[in-house]
Amino acid sequence: MISEDAYSELEQAVGPENVTREPAMLDSYSWQPFLNMSESLWVIRPAAVALPASTEEVQEIVRACNRNGLKFKAISTGWGAHNGPSCEDVVLIDLRRMDRIVEIDEDNMFAVVEPYVCGGELQAECWKRGLNTHIVGAGPHASPLAAATSMHGCGNDSISMSTSSRNVLGVEWVLPSGEVVRLGSPGSGDGWFSGDGPGPSLRGIMRGTSGAFGGFGVFTKVALKLYHWPGPETIEGEGMVLDSTGELPGCMRLFNCAFPTEKDSVEAMYGIGEAEIGCIQVRMVTSELTLLMTPHLFPKLVRKGPAILKLLNEAMPNPFVLLLAGNSPGELDYQVKVLHEIVRACNGVAMDTGHVGPARKLMGMNLLRCTVFPTVFRFGNMFATNLDGNEATDTQNAWAHTMEKDKAGYIRDGGLIDDGGENPYMITYENNLFGHCETVYLYDHRNPRHRDTLEPLAFDTTLAAIEQCNVPLAAFDPITRKIMSPLAGDFNEWQKRISAAFDDNGVSDTGLYTDEKDPDYSRIAPEKIERLHALQKKYRGQAPSASPSASIDTIDDRGNAGSSAGEVDDA
Amino acid sequence: MALADYRDDMMSCVRCSSCKWVPFNQMRSSRFAKNCPSICRHNFHSYSGSGRINMGLSLLENRSELTEKVSEIVYSCQMCGACDTHCKVYREVIDINDVLLELRARCVEEGELMVEHMVVMDALKRDNNMLGEPKAERGAWAEGLELKDVNTEHADVMFHAGCRFAYDRELWGAARGAVQLLQAAGLDVGIAGAEESCCGGRAFELGYRGEAVNFFDDMQARVKSSGATMLVTPCADGYAAFKYLYPLAGVELPVEVMHVSQVFERMVATGRLVPKRDLGLKVTWHDPCHLGRMGEPFLGGWAGDKRDRLRSQSRTGRRGVYDAPRETLGAIPGVELVEMERIRQYSWCCGAGGGVIDAFPEYAAWTAAERLEEAASTGAEALVTACPWCERMFADAARETGSAMRVFDLSELMLESCLPSEKEVVE
Repeated sequence: MISEDAYSELEQAVGPENVTREPAMLDSYSWQPFLNMSESLWVIRPAAVALPASTEEVQEIVRACNRNGLKFKAISTGWGAHNGPSCEDVVLIDLRRMDRIVEIDEDNMFAVVEPYVCGGELQAECWKRGLNTHIVGAGPHASPLAAATSMHGCGNDSISMSTSSRNVLGVEWVLPSGEVVRLGSPGSGDGWFSGDGPGPSLRGIMRGTSGAFGGFGVFTKVALKLYHWPGPETIEGEGMVLDSTGELPGCMRLFNCAFPTEKDSVEAMYGIGEAEIGCIQVRMVTSELTLLMTPHLFPKLVRKGPAILKLLNEAMPNPFVLLLAGNSPGELDYQVKVLHEIVRACNGVAMDTGHVGPARKLMGMNLLRCTVFPTVFRFGNMFATNLDGNEATDTQNAWAHTMEKDKAGYIRDGGLIDDGGENPYMITYENNLFGHCETVYLYDHRNPRHRDTLEPLAFDTTLAAIEQCNVPLAAFDPITRKIMSPLAGDFNEWQKRISAAFDDNGVSDTGLYTDEKDPDYSRIAPEKIERLHALQKKYRGQAPSASPSASIDTIDDRGNAGSSAGEVDDA
Repeated sequence: MALADYRDDMMSCVRCSSCKWVPFNQMRSSRFAKNCPSICRHNFHSYSGSGRINMGLSLLENRSELTEKVSEIVYSCQMCGACDTHCKVYREVIDINDVLLELRARCVEEGELMVEHMVVMDALKRDNNMLGEPKAERGAWAEGLELKDVNTEHADVMFHAGCRFAYDRELWGAARGAVQLLQAAGLDVGIAGAEESCCGGRAFELGYRGEAVNFFDDMQARVKSSGATMLVTPCADGYAAFKYLYPLAGVELPVEVMHVSQVFERMVATGRLVPKRDLGLKVTWHDPCHLGRMGEPFLGGWAGDKRDRLRSQSRTGRRGVYDAPRETLGAIPGVELVEMERIRQYSWCCGAGGGVIDAFPEYAAWTAAERLEEAASTGAEALVTACPWCERMFADAARETGSAMRVFDLSELMLESCLPSEKEVVE
């Protein structure tokens, strides 16, 4: 319950019409069934929700929280349980009113945006200017600012535009104290073109590899790197998304590639990366692609039985989709020739499906704007993924196959919807040297049996990741963090120190940044617990923790970091 | 039906926020990327389609109570259906608009009412119209047109003007023009005159189920007794009520129901109406929500798991009336149609619907002004539509904002192009 005085201060900060503590309104922020393993599917109700319109108003809210012993958490487009409070007495800062594209600098190829700009609208504006922006896999409704400052942010186009973490330039950041820090070139008044100076470079502190998930102040503006767009100003489509048809631009070609072995497929990905061709690349199995082309029919077929999935996936083994884009017919031809050469050398096939009816009509925008993700809900009403980290492409690919086997066990026991087991979403980036794979699993959140599967499955994910020397991206989850941190340089001890250094009063909701929690071991098979303990013993023995106290003091009064920032980033 | 019957719908919301945007493949700019007037105006998630059904689930689970504030949020919605349509782009298991109807019915049941809507309902009960005008004057708009009286004579076509056209004198030209065109096409047209009453659609949308169904039954009886084979209306609100709300409430009209734009298209295609005069006008077309996505016919109820529902049984807005007015405009010499960004199923609302025009006039006016800006961005000289509520909103907004955009009903352009002017008749 928020006190009258505190509420009054929030009203003064943003105006009475832009703050609420009405229970039903607060509950509209608490309903977060996506990526939610709890039984109720409601997350903790915030104490109040405030809608600032400016950086100054965000500062006022944060200061009010400091004065009144409240915590705060900022959200933008707000999809998923990680957007809700993790504890009581949290003021949710809904950044919806901060929705401007402040600037698109065509010459220097960057855009400055506020938190509630969505990827789809930014891309639409960029295309008109011959530029393109990275869209995260969560879809075009997600906030590019949130992905760039607070999460990892990979997507279909990462082969050509990398991940959100690599596209962040200048940043405006309201610290937990209420002070504003401008990172990179805006910090020295030199515009937004760089995240690392002239001006303070705190990128490692600000976001590390995976971001603080809203647990470390509020980001109010960000400059995002833009890329060249060889396509038209707009792709004229008819109909709605699942029905919509839009011709693939003439400067693009779509290929479905398949390979006899996993090794061949990965070698081809490395070859493509080395050759620096490709605009979009996604590893999806054939059944997933069929879903994209028959979104109404396919989920119903699957609900009748998954045999068709297995059949499709066996017909096109170890596949990926590649969209090529050229600035000229000659360049496009060159890319096609290079692709064929690589695929031939890897014993595969590359089918030019961009001229096949459904693919030609449906795939272009689905891939380019990443509009397809919510279709995955069509199977069971809910889905989740084994969030793995970002590792060498072959490591990620192998991990995906491990998870398919793990998942199959839960499917057999009725704990998940049967999708045939194989259902990866894997993208590659940075010359395809790195991959990010999420094995998708389908469930119905209204089914208690399915919900009971989630925590043991998450445990399996973590276990498999450790066994294969991966760091799971899901380390934002307090359970995974508690398991992983001691095995990876005690990264969370560093994060806690950083959090404390910037957040004297502990006003940020650090639930997904530094909090730790034990899993419910009663749900985990003893054999798996033993395997984990053996791994913990093995790796802790090999890599004793560094002392967090050694270099944290190198953060100076202005917030500039010494060498520790890099260490945290690497961790 | 009751709110509890939509529990699965509400639980299926994953809060992806698709309901707040135009379909992403159709997104062409940042300025016109959003689709829901309510959340654009009020900003809290509670004012979106998703937020309202999240609140509905909260009420159903007794986590919160239906307060005056919640009621205000429930009614700060034009029931335009944009949220429902975009949600259905991805999934067909959530009938957002039906949940919103149930929330309103619950507000009425629990007495959490808007005073302005009580005034409307009093007017409806007293004078059979929403504007509080005298019942006896309902047929005044048609004076001098020598139309048949369906109360006493047989006519093949029963023309239902609707409350707004019947009483809004500035709009009479459109209603009269529509009827003149039907007559010119050789149709046998009659009206109910002073006996015509409200279709009841707005009452249903406001949650006053009992009163609404009384109007539905009254309309059904009048249609049956008239012997007409076709019911034509120039009012998009009325059209949606006849096509969706009546069958939803179990009331069938035993006639072909057509919006006047559909009749125009048919008459032009068969050569019974021939637009001749070159109007030399660059126009943009506003799809009225209740003619488009909300005008989709009722497809039948669905009792089981909606994941098993066929596409053909799911309300997606695709079967609304979109092409008929465009075909008609295209047949008028000298009319150049330039489209806005948000069109057809994902059109932006005029602001009037769902009782917003009555309870929140400033918000309604803001919504209309937003649309006028979008219309102006096309370079059009005029905005054309086919709904009296939209026309009233746009005409007022143009006046208040100083917009140079002219506002026409489709009938007015057709009349000017097809029939000789009074001056020509004299000559």
